[in-house]
Amino acid sequence: MIKLENVTKIYKGDIAALRDADVNIDKGEFVFLVGASGSGKSTFIRLLNKEEEPSQGRIYVAGKDIGSLNAWKVPYLRRNIGYVFQDFKLLPNKTVFENVAFALEVIGRPSHVIKSQVPAILELVGLSQKLESFPFELSGGEQQRVSIARAFVNRPLILLADEPTGNLDPATSVGIMRLLDRINRTGTTVVMATHDRGIVDTMRRRVIELDKGHIVRDQSRGVYE
Amino acid sequence: MALNVRYVARETGTNLRRNFSLTLASVVTVAVSLTLFGAALVFAQGVNNMTARWQGGIEFIVFMQAGATSEQLDSMRTALEANPEISTVTFIDKPAAYEEFKQLFSRSRDMIESVDQESMPPSFRVEPVNADADVIQAMGDQFAKKAGVREVVFALDTVKTMQRVTNIASFVIIVVACFLLVAAVLLILNTIRTAMFARRREIEVMKLVGATNWFIRVPFMVEGLVHGVLGAAVAIIGVQGLNWGFDRGLSNNRDLRMLEGFVITGGQMTFTTLLLIGVGCVIGALGSGIAVSRFLDV
Repeated sequence: MIKLENVTKIYKGDIAALRDADVNIDKGEFVFLVGASGSGKSTFIRLLNKEEEPSQGRIYVAGKDIGSLNAWKVPYLRRNIGYVFQDFKLLPNKTVFENVAFALEVIGRPSHVIKSQVPAILELVGLSQKLESFPFELSGGEQQRVSIARAFVNRPLILLADEPTGNLDPATSVGIMRLLDRINRTGTTVVMATHDRGIVDTMRRRVIELDKGHIVRDQSRGVYE
Repeated sequence: MALNVRYVARETGTNLRRNFSLTLASVVTVAVSLTLFGAALVFAQGVNNMTARWQGGIEFIVFMQAGATSEQLDSMRTALEANPEISTVTFIDKPAAYEEFKQLFSRSRDMIESVDQESMPPSFRVEPVNADADVIQAMGDQFAKKAGVREVVFALDTVKTMQRVTNIASFVIIVVACFLLVAAVLLILNTIRTAMFARRREIEVMKLVGATNWFIRVPFMVEGLVHGVLGAAVAIIGVQGLNWGFDRGLSNNRDLRMLEGFVITGGQMTFTTLLLIGVGCVIGALGSGIAVSRFLDV
């Protein structure tokens, strides 16, 4: 599903965020990216979404070499990739329903599809009582559920999560992880960057550890350290 | 790409409302510049119409009698064309003279009704080789004595001055209008940029969930177009109003009888209107086009 071949990413001023990375992630896998701040976790994720271009190497997503992708095709790549952030990135002036509907609307889905899929996905994340609430009326955990609903409503092949529990307390984080686990069980490949030792150690999934851009460990059913 | 009209209308509407003061500034600038532009154009056309007979170096006109025989016309034409001091001769026959008369006096129905095509004098418009006043006077007087001639009319200095002043004035106004148009493009550009800044979160989310570039751009492009078209609409009303006011002033004021021929035809007004709408669209598209291509990259 995801394949990195000798991928190096060097930012301006010779700062290497990723060095010679070779990674192969199969369909349906759940992968934790761990490592200190600045170790290259976010760069790894941003490369998959083509927000960044690798300085060297090739990246394949769903069998396609995304380096050779035309600029106008990038949106179609992203329709196959859900993206969840530490800071949720919800639109403050839209309700929960509208926030999720927005993601379908802007990729041109017809309104009858939106009307049936949005309530269904919000039910899945446990927010069917809050359709008309605004983000500021929700707790952090609830906001993250909305953002996961938005990322998953289009049933993407891959879900990328950049420290999705970074702003949440441990109890709330557990709920979010259950949700991501559930999404993973539908066959969606999940790649999650995290600092959260407890989560990694409990879930016991594949762990890729980065240190100054080098992959120093790639272990199935791994722990944080 | 499914670009739905309702989505574009809603997003554009929201942008226009949120950004009301800047939108107003853009529209007013477009309106003022296009009004100046249109007014200069209409004024130049009016003066052109009024002085149509004297365009292109015509120095005198030999009016024949309405009842002049074809032999008299032929002999006059031969005489004019044979004269080495004359470079061009244009013959205006009765139907052409009648058409011109109708246009020149379109404001005075009774005047037009009192004549018909048969009573119009045919004429020869003469462009001499050199423009020396004495030579022209002598030459004109010489033709005035020939058979069938009603009178010889010389280009008045006032007409020439008026043409010159109009040309300079229209040129200056159009230059000023062009500067204002550039200002309008920049204002629209900045308005769109502000609108994009106000919606940067939406735009970020749209990009991440895979909205196409065009889907993101179109509402902003439409917004710029709306600025241009609204400005043009105001300018059209302004130009029509100016023309109407001028027309009324002329009709009611006896002292301005010499400007009798200052008339804009319907065709010219339509042309000016279409031109203003066209320029308005171009300005809007240009301003928003630059904004979206410079500030909305993936």
